[in-house]
Amino acid sequence: MNSRLSLAIVALLCCCSPLLAQKTGKKPAIAKRTAPAKPPVSRLPASVREQTPVDMRVAPVIASRRDEAAASAAEIDRLVDVKLAAVGQRPNPLAGDELFLRRVYLQVAGRIPTLPEAHAFLESMSANRRQELIDELLSSPDYVSNMYNMWAETLRLVQSPQPNIVADPYLAYVKESIRDNKQYDQWVYEMLTADGKTWENPAAGYQLRDEGMPLPYVDNTVRVFLGTQIGCAQCHDHPFDHWTQHQFYELAAFTAGTRTRSSGGDMMAAKGKPRGNKSQSLIKEAQAKYPNGRVPGPLQRVARANAYNVAEVKAALRLPHDYAYDDAKPKTVVEPAVLWGEVPKTASGKSGREQFAAWLTSAENPRFSQTIVNRLWRRFMGAGLIDPIDDIRDDSVCVNEPLQKHLCAELIRLDFNLKELTRTILYSKSFQREATDYQVTSGEPYYFPGPVVHRMTAEQVWDSILTLAVHNAWPFQRPTAKDIAPTIELDLASATLETLEAVTQKYSSTYFQAAYRRSLAPHAYQGNVLCRASELPSPMPAGHFLRQFGQGDRETIDGGDSTATVPQILAMLNGPITHVMLETGSAIYDNVTAAESSRDAIDSIFISLLTRKPTSEDRKLAASEISRASRPGEGYGNMIWALLNTKEFLFVQ
Amino acid sequence: MSTPEFSGTHRRQFMATAAQSLLGVSFASYARSRAFADVAAAPQPVAIGKAKHIIYLFMNGAMTHIDTFDPKPDVPEGGETKGIQTRVPGISFGEKLPKLSYLAGALAVVRSLSTETGDHNQAQYLMRTAYKQLNSIRHPAMGAWMVNQKDRLNRDLPGNFLIGENNRHPGAGFLHASLSPVPISDPDVGLENTSLPKYLDEKLFNRRLVLAGQFDRRFQGKHPNPEVEAYNHLYGEAKRLMGSDKLEVFDLSKESEEVRESYGQNPLGQGCLLARRLVEQGIRYVEINHGGWDMHQELYERLDEKATMLDTALSSLLRDLNTKGLLSETLVVLATEFGRSPELNVNGGRDHHPGAFSGVLAGAGIRGGQVYGSSDDRGFSVESDQVSIEDFNSTIAAAAGLDIESEFIAPNGRPFKVGGGGTPVKELLT
Repeated sequence: MNSRLSLAIVALLCCCSPLLAQKTGKKPAIAKRTAPAKPPVSRLPASVREQTPVDMRVAPVIASRRDEAAASAAEIDRLVDVKLAAVGQRPNPLAGDELFLRRVYLQVAGRIPTLPEAHAFLESMSANRRQELIDELLSSPDYVSNMYNMWAETLRLVQSPQPNIVADPYLAYVKESIRDNKQYDQWVYEMLTADGKTWENPAAGYQLRDEGMPLPYVDNTVRVFLGTQIGCAQCHDHPFDHWTQHQFYELAAFTAGTRTRSSGGDMMAAKGKPRGNKSQSLIKEAQAKYPNGRVPGPLQRVARANAYNVAEVKAALRLPHDYAYDDAKPKTVVEPAVLWGEVPKTASGKSGREQFAAWLTSAENPRFSQTIVNRLWRRFMGAGLIDPIDDIRDDSVCVNEPLQKHLCAELIRLDFNLKELTRTILYSKSFQREATDYQVTSGEPYYFPGPVVHRMTAEQVWDSILTLAVHNAWPFQRPTAKDIAPTIELDLASATLETLEAVTQKYSSTYFQAAYRRSLAPHAYQGNVLCRASELPSPMPAGHFLRQFGQGDRETIDGGDSTATVPQILAMLNGPITHVMLETGSAIYDNVTAAESSRDAIDSIFISLLTRKPTSEDRKLAASEISRASRPGEGYGNMIWALLNTKEFLFVQ
Repeated sequence: MSTPEFSGTHRRQFMATAAQSLLGVSFASYARSRAFADVAAAPQPVAIGKAKHIIYLFMNGAMTHIDTFDPKPDVPEGGETKGIQTRVPGISFGEKLPKLSYLAGALAVVRSLSTETGDHNQAQYLMRTAYKQLNSIRHPAMGAWMVNQKDRLNRDLPGNFLIGENNRHPGAGFLHASLSPVPISDPDVGLENTSLPKYLDEKLFNRRLVLAGQFDRRFQGKHPNPEVEAYNHLYGEAKRLMGSDKLEVFDLSKESEEVRESYGQNPLGQGCLLARRLVEQGIRYVEINHGGWDMHQELYERLDEKATMLDTALSSLLRDLNTKGLLSETLVVLATEFGRSPELNVNGGRDHHPGAFSGVLAGAGIRGGQVYGSSDDRGFSVESDQVSIEDFNSTIAAAAGLDIESEFIAPNGRPFKVGGGGTPVKELLT
């Protein structure tokens, strides 16, 4: 290595890089006196400075299925091309390796590739290198993180849907279901039928998301998994679709027996008598004991959280008292009935929830397949075959019906293996073509000559910046049922104030708000915890970088947004998150200092930020910038900052 | 019944006289401060289109109408909320709104709103844009229209702000990105990252920006894309802001502790204070989006805090605007996406209820001291003088002098109007 240059870079990034400038600037004499070879001190948290493998065993793609996936992908392309020809359009040319590389990383791993990852692919001589990379990414923790982010928006994943519900185990469960590539139909069935507390059976968190709102629960479930909006029919016949209020109630009748709070004793035994509320009585007891009746927050949390316990009883649903249609009288009992098709025979004799779940997740239920196929297609291609994907009606226009049929048939053939279906889509030329600038709001149908250009999601921006900034973007993972259960579990039936206090002590020192926040602090840089978006608390506070860039508040289904705002730009220009990468010891800093020539350094910067080599024009600009800078390192710093503020960085093409 | 119910012309005549008498003996004798008296005196006739600014308080999650502006204390559906007599004879509000009751002479309460859906997202979109949410188009919210039709009063600052949550706000819709609201997530923090990091001087900053533009040329040439264009535009806006001495507007510490306290030390209160500061600087439109109203459970455990916050924030805003002489040119709107069900559910909450709910207008262009329209005795359906979401929006637009008659053609080829083609409610306007 050219030692003169390497020192120059260190000096540059060190002296001229933003955050170290003051420090070195103040004490130049001291800096000179100490040994010049001594590495500068990094202000990045130690936990993110060392490359560390993520502790996660991810279900890999099925190696033997590659040819099968390729054949199915060819069928996608044939169907896309037939449609394009029919409307007089041509497919876009196949994207080059650099474009493909960036896109596949962003769309599958949720971030841009690191410099070594980019080199590995761009230098690969393998004829199958695209398929190999797709398989590798689909089998990586990055895939889990990326898909978790998608589901977090769709399922409105929050840690406390109600103040005293502890849903963290459920959030981790969603991630684990993706990690294990759980068959999609089974995963959904599990969530719709789960009993217990979240740390005993974390799938129960799905039910608790809409705790106390049994009718919106049905509405949300049908919208998310069947792409159908029946919410209007909760109060009156649907004005734009054919659903009647009676049908809504018939469907809701299946889940009328769901109970989300336990009294602390045997629920059935309490029948007919006013239920004793054990968690309430424990808190009352505590009020008497603590000065001024001030019961500590964690104690209340533990007592009440243990009362959220999902179970199912036999119960009938009655029409509302103001039911206004002629087909039934108000307050009459509604018999459960599905919206279309029938409850599978295998579910006969089972509970209401089980029948509902069996019907909803059945391979015979066309909208169940259609909805997930569209959801994935939109995620990877930028628009749905039917758009919006969650308001399908009988007269909805699908821009390519045969293609949708093919994808649905594949989903069922693959036993709802979403990873294999995704692999098929990614293998297709359709995904690997150059992207088109298309606006859904143009009102024009889109026939997929290529994927759609779009701004990175908030999580893609955040995780990409982390990729540039730190060697380890995964210093911790979100807590799981296994982590949390021993700190919070209390058998309400036998609990006393003493046992409650003992549990509270464990909880308040581990996962209760302040304690948990404290445990994350060592990973923070200027108050920002540096970790993948999928592991951070949910929802993030409204002023956080992720929220500025449009991460949803997790209250509306798919609430994320990607429109431009002034605060986003100010954050990019001046905020700590973009300057973290100019710190000594950041990933990009190390890449540049490792470069053997200024040409190499410029290449490294371009590949690190934009996943491509500089053009000859770029090189000229870079060279002139470096020569203009008072020191060459300042030039590199300027380049990094400038590339980060290009729209080429922010948009996925 | 504590609230006498009137209907049709009788009621309107009564309200008109009530409002007038209020300006005289009945109110003056209660007025303790000058500001108070002035606010009550605000509904002096002003020309339609008087409002130069709009402050729009959005109660996100659906504000319970029965427990705020349309109390029903005599029926079980009224729940625990009792009515209190306001300063306007014959009008009562929920008891949790004593300060606003005092200012009733300045308020026009609409009790006959109804909407088409019980889905938060769709109903919010409809309320803000006067159009149904469709996939093929994004409609502009009122703030974008204000700046589009009336232009900025202050060249240094954007004309449209959104304080609080900005999740899925329709923003500028299909209009130019420069019209979309600048989101301020926390009024206490204001606009962040407006100054350069210490190591970076302005010259170097500008050089970096130029460099970014040069590196980006190839991508931009290849991708004519309105979303990319929006970023380009806002980079310019952000840069202008960074150099501006008007940034002080975001610094709430410039206000006395007393003033800050009077608005309430919470996001809604401080949001209203920031809104007043922005309006002073000539900002056209400020929305304060304030959540927490989706009370499906234990409503009466949560109502007190929320209603008090609203009562304090809105009453202080009106008084303060009035003291500063801004109320006569500022329209203040209190809106929400729908109401909450008259029947309390098993968890002591109220569920979504699009059938009837309330909104409030005050300030420039508005005839205060009245209730317009009514819900039935349980607050379930609209009983008289129904005001559609389009009518409500058209009334706001008319008060601000926006063109609600012309047809515009959206990018998807459909025609539409500001206010959605509704009819402004004449009785609400001066």
